[in-house]
Amino acid sequence: MLEGAEFYFNVDHGYLEGLVRGCKASLLTQQDYINLVQCETLEDVKIHLQTTDYGNFLANETNPLTVSKIDTEMRKKLCREFEYFRNHSLEPLSTFFTYMTCSYMIDNVILLMNGALQKKSVKEILVKCHPLGRFTEMEAVNIAETPSDLFNAVLVETPLAPFFQDCMSENTLDELNIELLRNKLYKSYLEAFYKFCKNHGDVTAEIMCPILEFEADRRAFIITLNSFGTELSKDDRETLYPTCGKLYPEGLRLLAQAEDFDQMRRVAEHYGVYKPLFEAVGDGSGGKTLEDVFYEHEVQMNVLAFNRQFHYGVFYAYAKLKEQEMRNIVWIAECISQRHRTKINSYIPIL
Amino acid sequence: MSGKDRIEIFPSRMAQTIMKARLKGAQTGRNLLKKKSDALTLRFRQILKKIIETKMLMGEVMREAAFSLAEAKFTAGDFSTTVIQNVNKAQVKIRAKKDNVAGVTLPVFEHYHEGTDSYELTGLARGGEQLAKLKRNYAKAVELLVELASLQSSFPGLNVPLLISSQSWMRGSEKSSIG
Repeated sequence: MLEGAEFYFNVDHGYLEGLVRGCKASLLTQQDYINLVQCETLEDVKIHLQTTDYGNFLANETNPLTVSKIDTEMRKKLCREFEYFRNHSLEPLSTFFTYMTCSYMIDNVILLMNGALQKKSVKEILVKCHPLGRFTEMEAVNIAETPSDLFNAVLVETPLAPFFQDCMSENTLDELNIELLRNKLYKSYLEAFYKFCKNHGDVTAEIMCPILEFEADRRAFIITLNSFGTELSKDDRETLYPTCGKLYPEGLRLLAQAEDFDQMRRVAEHYGVYKPLFEAVGDGSGGKTLEDVFYEHEVQMNVLAFNRQFHYGVFYAYAKLKEQEMRNIVWIAECISQRHRTKINSYIPIL
Repeated sequence: MSGKDRIEIFPSRMAQTIMKARLKGAQTGRNLLKKKSDALTLRFRQILKKIIETKMLMGEVMREAAFSLAEAKFTAGDFSTTVIQNVNKAQVKIRAKKDNVAGVTLPVFEHYHEGTDSYELTGLARGGEQLAKLKRNYAKAVELLVELASLQSSFPGLNVPLLISSQSWMRGSEKSSIG
């Protein structure tokens, strides 16, 4: 292959790749998790985290220590690292980073839209927004009266504009259910991200495309599973499925017709990747849920991304693994603080 | 026999008949009071027992509900702002009814469901199963809370009449033991 990313990748992105690999090496290991699980109080958790790469991140917190404080501080740390990477990146890595932040931006925009329409104060909502999804027009949201105004005035400047245009015309923006809007935006975002990675070609496409295909199919399965028994019609459901995965087009059509879990399982059995995942699902209480199994598979794919060099997937994988680690730590901390230790080992192990 | 409770009366046969009728009336009144006090005591003890059981159960149910919130957050991320922003009408409402025990009216609360779930599609793409479990657990907690509120509000409603009627009965039995 004469595409040879190894010839010119390091010129622009070598420093950042080295940095991200160093950060990856500081993720919590199995031994760290074992230590955390044995803690009795949140203070013990804080002491154990001091020995890891987190260091004294909780040093300035006043008593009493709560799980939400731990969560906020960890997220701040991740944001600092991410912003550093982003500020030092060059094209096309900067566009890649922008795509990564779009998913958080979608959540923030939905929050802001909802709050603006209910005349809530913008300041309160800004505090709740995800820091990675920050965009400059955020404070200007409260000038709009209806969603269409909001779109014309504010959102058309953000990177999310093309996703809104894909979903619908401006008139329908007003009546749409907020959750349906969120999922439709995410679908366009995922397809755009997939196209970007594919066009970039090279090792990035080889690593990122399977990850994004899995994400698309996973969403299709979960949306189907969660829409059983709700008022969501089958046609509506089909419009929410991202089309950039392995399931497109036959699998998605079959999924749209599915009415219960077993029919979904039969659709999954046609695909070699998903058959073992569905077989690992326990039944009802006690076993793993489908979402747990998907999370584990995602973590595996992200860890494998680090086995190859000279591609952008390492940044995406690092961000996702770090988020999973944050969720694990928050889970263990909640189990400890609520003294409910039966399920404390249900975190997703990473390394 | 001596004392302030002496009734001044002219000793005649009619006065004796009248006094006997008065005595009978007083005794019937005293028995009715005793019955009322007994009925109230019985109801009181039942409610007390139920309150203790419900409070124990409440501890367990709240713990379970708080844990299912942690589970839902693990899978679905932070959905608290979405939930708070989309609040409009209550789905679980309370009706207040009156219950009569030995002449004392007590309030009783009963919950009923109205309207559809406005959070049906929350967590559509992530964590829907855990959110459904969370909703069920908290619904159970709310029902238990309504029952507890009903019991606890009937508690003082019973307490005061019980004391009054038992005091009256005591005083009545004092008087009749002298007479």
